[in-house]
Amino acid sequence: RRHKPSAPEHKRDFAAHGGALSGSHNDTRSFFNFSQLVLSAGHLKSPPVLKHSKVTYFEVEILDVQSKRQICIVDKVPPSSTLLDVKQKFHKACPQWYPSRVGLQLERNGPYLKDSISIQSLAVSSIITLYFTDLGQQVSWTTFFLTEYTGPLLIYLLFYIRLSTIYDQVESTKNFRHPVVHLACFCHCLHYIRHLLETLFVHKLSGGHTPLKNMIQGCAFYWGFTSWIAYYINHPRYTPPSFGHRQVSFAALAFLMCEAGNHFINVALAQQKHSGSKACFPSPTYNPFTWLFLLVSCPNYTYEVGSWISFTVMTQTLPVGIFAFLMVIQMSLWARKKHKLYLKRFYPEVRRKAAMIPIIF
Amino acid sequence: WLVIAVGLVRAYLAKGSYHSLYYSIEKPLKFFQTGALLEILHCAFGIVPSSVVLTAFQVMSRVFLTWAVTHSVKEVQTEDSVLLFVVAWTITEIIRYSFYTFSLLNHLPYLIKWARYTLFIVLYPMGVSGELLTIYAALPFVRQSGLYSISLPNKYNFSFDYYTFLILIMISYIPIFPQLYFHMLHQRRKVLSHTEEHKKSE
Repeated sequence: RRHKPSAPEHKRDFAAHGGALSGSHNDTRSFFNFSQLVLSAGHLKSPPVLKHSKVTYFEVEILDVQSKRQICIVDKVPPSSTLLDVKQKFHKACPQWYPSRVGLQLERNGPYLKDSISIQSLAVSSIITLYFTDLGQQVSWTTFFLTEYTGPLLIYLLFYIRLSTIYDQVESTKNFRHPVVHLACFCHCLHYIRHLLETLFVHKLSGGHTPLKNMIQGCAFYWGFTSWIAYYINHPRYTPPSFGHRQVSFAALAFLMCEAGNHFINVALAQQKHSGSKACFPSPTYNPFTWLFLLVSCPNYTYEVGSWISFTVMTQTLPVGIFAFLMVIQMSLWARKKHKLYLKRFYPEVRRKAAMIPIIF
Repeated sequence: WLVIAVGLVRAYLAKGSYHSLYYSIEKPLKFFQTGALLEILHCAFGIVPSSVVLTAFQVMSRVFLTWAVTHSVKEVQTEDSVLLFVVAWTITEIIRYSFYTFSLLNHLPYLIKWARYTLFIVLYPMGVSGELLTIYAALPFVRQSGLYSISLPNKYNFSFDYYTFLILIMISYIPIFPQLYFHMLHQRRKVLSHTEEHKKSE
């Protein structure tokens, strides 16, 4: 390894001198390392005689979190670099671990450090020790959402066209299909197409990643439930809602309003002028759908829950009700977490708002 | 559980055969096995450090077998497989509860610890066989009577076939049983070797 001399003049001469002697080459080099370490560790002020600026390079030692064995040392890390730069250099050294898969901690049970942390803030000496955990195969959030939403769209359509392997063919051709079945297909597709378009064009996904396991669990949940509900709605023996056209029209109207509301809220959230530390709580605009921001801190979840409850009423199918119930639980948990975060950050505005359901919760 | 054990022995001695002993211990079995639901609450409230999910899983499978299979399908109550799992459960539970009691009193005899972590090697497969055979015996009667099943068309567009559900439960034993069994074997190695080391160091 070649060291850029960052020590004062006389040390540089010494190093050159040491380099010339082949016999004691290693000893001199290790002494040079040591002296450099001591100098930079002590934060000694450079003497005013120096003409060039002193740049202290850091070395990052990466140990495996379980075996504590050293995996590699990333050297020549400039102090202005971030953890992401270190991860990229680590990736070059060990190609099987790409940066999003690498989890680095300062202590063995500490939190995972963020990519944006600067090396300067971590350094106690010129060698930093970090513990490495393999976070597993990662997928980007975009891939995650696209897969999760395309599945139900296609699966429902497969049931809608009444594939001969799923339903009895004789019954399928014989039975008259109530218009609510067609309406349900339209609404269901509308919901997922909207989600897909929002993922592609509206949401500003951070470009982060999530473990593959999460994607598989999410997909299993959505795809499984979609198969279950599609089976019953498109079944030849489907029974239309008890209150007939009135129930269907009312529920369909509510569904469309919730879909529109959800869309406008997502657009409003994506269009916020500032983000990160300067962000402020989204304010309602002239659009009546955004007025829910006055009552609730997570109106997107409110509208999502509203969509699924309307869909349940529209189709009057118990499996849809069960799915809607599970979504309510999931959305409530997410809303509560977000609400707590908002309370901390935007205290005065958010104080009187509910998390997801106006006044109640 | 001792009540159940004594009840079984007495009934056996009175009848002279081991068939149809279920009826003599039906009520205590239902009472005590259902009482085990409290264990889930103990874990949920943090009184006991075990995992809620694992405990819930185990207790619910037992309760399911007691009520949804043995009680509901009357024709299987005379089967020998019922005796098989009742005996397995009785012995396991007596040892398990003694283990907990003595642990709480800080005076655990090595015999109980050894019994808890060794007898399962025989009792666990015995119990699982009894359970599976009972469910298998119940299948034709469920099919015939349409027990706990709803079919289309109905107002809420829902259907449930208890027969298929029972078959799925039987299939689910295949991945779950080996996992739990090897977990217990692993625990055994850890606990019993730890005690030996402790003894040696003393």
